[in-house]
Amino acid sequence: MPPEFLSMVKGLFCVALLLFTVTARAENWPTKDWPGGQALSGPAVKALEDYAFPTRDDVTRKGIRTDALLVIRDGQVIYERYAAPTTATTPHLTWSVSKSIMATVLGVAFSDYRFKLKDPVARFYPPMKQHPTVTMADLLHWASGLDWQEDYEYAPLKSSVVAMLYTRGRGDMAEFAADTGTFSGPGQAFRYSSGDTNLLSAALKGMLGHKAYVDYPWTALFKPLGIRNATWETDADETFVASSYAYLTARDLARIGLLMQRDGRWGERQLLPKEWVDFNRQPFDKYRAGQDEAVPGGHWWLNREVQGATRPWPDAPVDTFAALGHWGQALYVMPAEQLVIVRYGDDRDGSYRHNELLKRVVAAVAQQVQP
Amino acid sequence: MIRRHPLISVLILLLLVLLGWIWHERVNLQAFPDIIAAYTAKEYCSCRYVEGNPGEYCLGYVKQYVPTSAFADDPEKRLVTASGLGRTHSAQWLGERQGCRLTP
Repeated sequence: MPPEFLSMVKGLFCVALLLFTVTARAENWPTKDWPGGQALSGPAVKALEDYAFPTRDDVTRKGIRTDALLVIRDGQVIYERYAAPTTATTPHLTWSVSKSIMATVLGVAFSDYRFKLKDPVARFYPPMKQHPTVTMADLLHWASGLDWQEDYEYAPLKSSVVAMLYTRGRGDMAEFAADTGTFSGPGQAFRYSSGDTNLLSAALKGMLGHKAYVDYPWTALFKPLGIRNATWETDADETFVASSYAYLTARDLARIGLLMQRDGRWGERQLLPKEWVDFNRQPFDKYRAGQDEAVPGGHWWLNREVQGATRPWPDAPVDTFAALGHWGQALYVMPAEQLVIVRYGDDRDGSYRHNELLKRVVAAVAQQVQP
Repeated sequence: MIRRHPLISVLILLLLVLLGWIWHERVNLQAFPDIIAAYTAKEYCSCRYVEGNPGEYCLGYVKQYVPTSAFADDPEKRLVTASGLGRTHSAQWLGERQGCRLTP
């Protein structure tokens, strides 16, 4: 090979490397803490705060009761506010946001070829031999076909969740879920179920073995993202209560949001395969419009039109997706707008509306972006 | 019997339906009174020792429409005990990562 050709190749390689470094540098990433961007201001922020932080009534506990609101744009904090006693350092209970965090932990296991979406759950968790054809994908779609009752407060007698968390199921939550009867074939119908998520948690334990499993959320996800203050409670069998009991500060939950916003990439590392994030964001095809407050994907909630029905949050971009939890916990991601929003709350009635909050955040950001 | 005592017949029928329902829901009904004590102990423990909120706030946070009859928080052991509807349950803080769990 002529030496000129070699040096030309070398030169091109250097240019490519330089370009790559420049693009990588142009992105903002949190290190020990989040970088600050130009803070949101103006009348649109007032409208946002009027909605999210009305005078709080701790006696009747009525109305919208936001504990934390954090807005990240392009990897920088542009808005942050807390209501006492929650602060920037409070690892707040996320309730069912935990489900999407477990999905993200599973994404790392997926990238390590620990499982495939079509694998039967029983391969990793023997009590599921009662339901041998339920696959990992079915659980991720909340479509196990298990006859689960998700109601919390209004039907505590029949609630599978209450029994799982507090009474009959609390010793071994996955086994409690596996012992449920069926109402449909696996993968045929959507029914939101905390049992399905805790079966995923037990399946992950089966893939890794007990010893590696108990550290796995930290080694696989939290440490690479720089999350330092996470708690994830377990049942008596030391299986993570993936349905309900992960605790993170708003700033730390936003790191998971940024990872998802950037298609599973953290800095230069592709932590989750693109294919995994695509699965998270693909609507479950057996979901019928109106069955839930948003459209289920692979253990994340999507703002998509299905069967001609309007999208769940009409004032938010169509690519918005979210992790949602009881009493108003939410992590919203808008990839095209480069927005990540964490909202923690203590809403005891149903007055809080995702669409209303998102509309006001988008308006405040739009006002900012204009010169 | 039905013709001579229509009211008693209806009451007997209702009683049979009620007994049938109790039998059908016996597992759920037996566990039901445990909910309030277990919920209060577990969620107070996490509110106080995982989230690090003040005890007074956490008492308000766990309040439900079913009352609790007794409550104790041992800050040294980080052990929380609550009673309600004749049942008592405790939750124990286990560590930074594990948080709180109901004791067996």
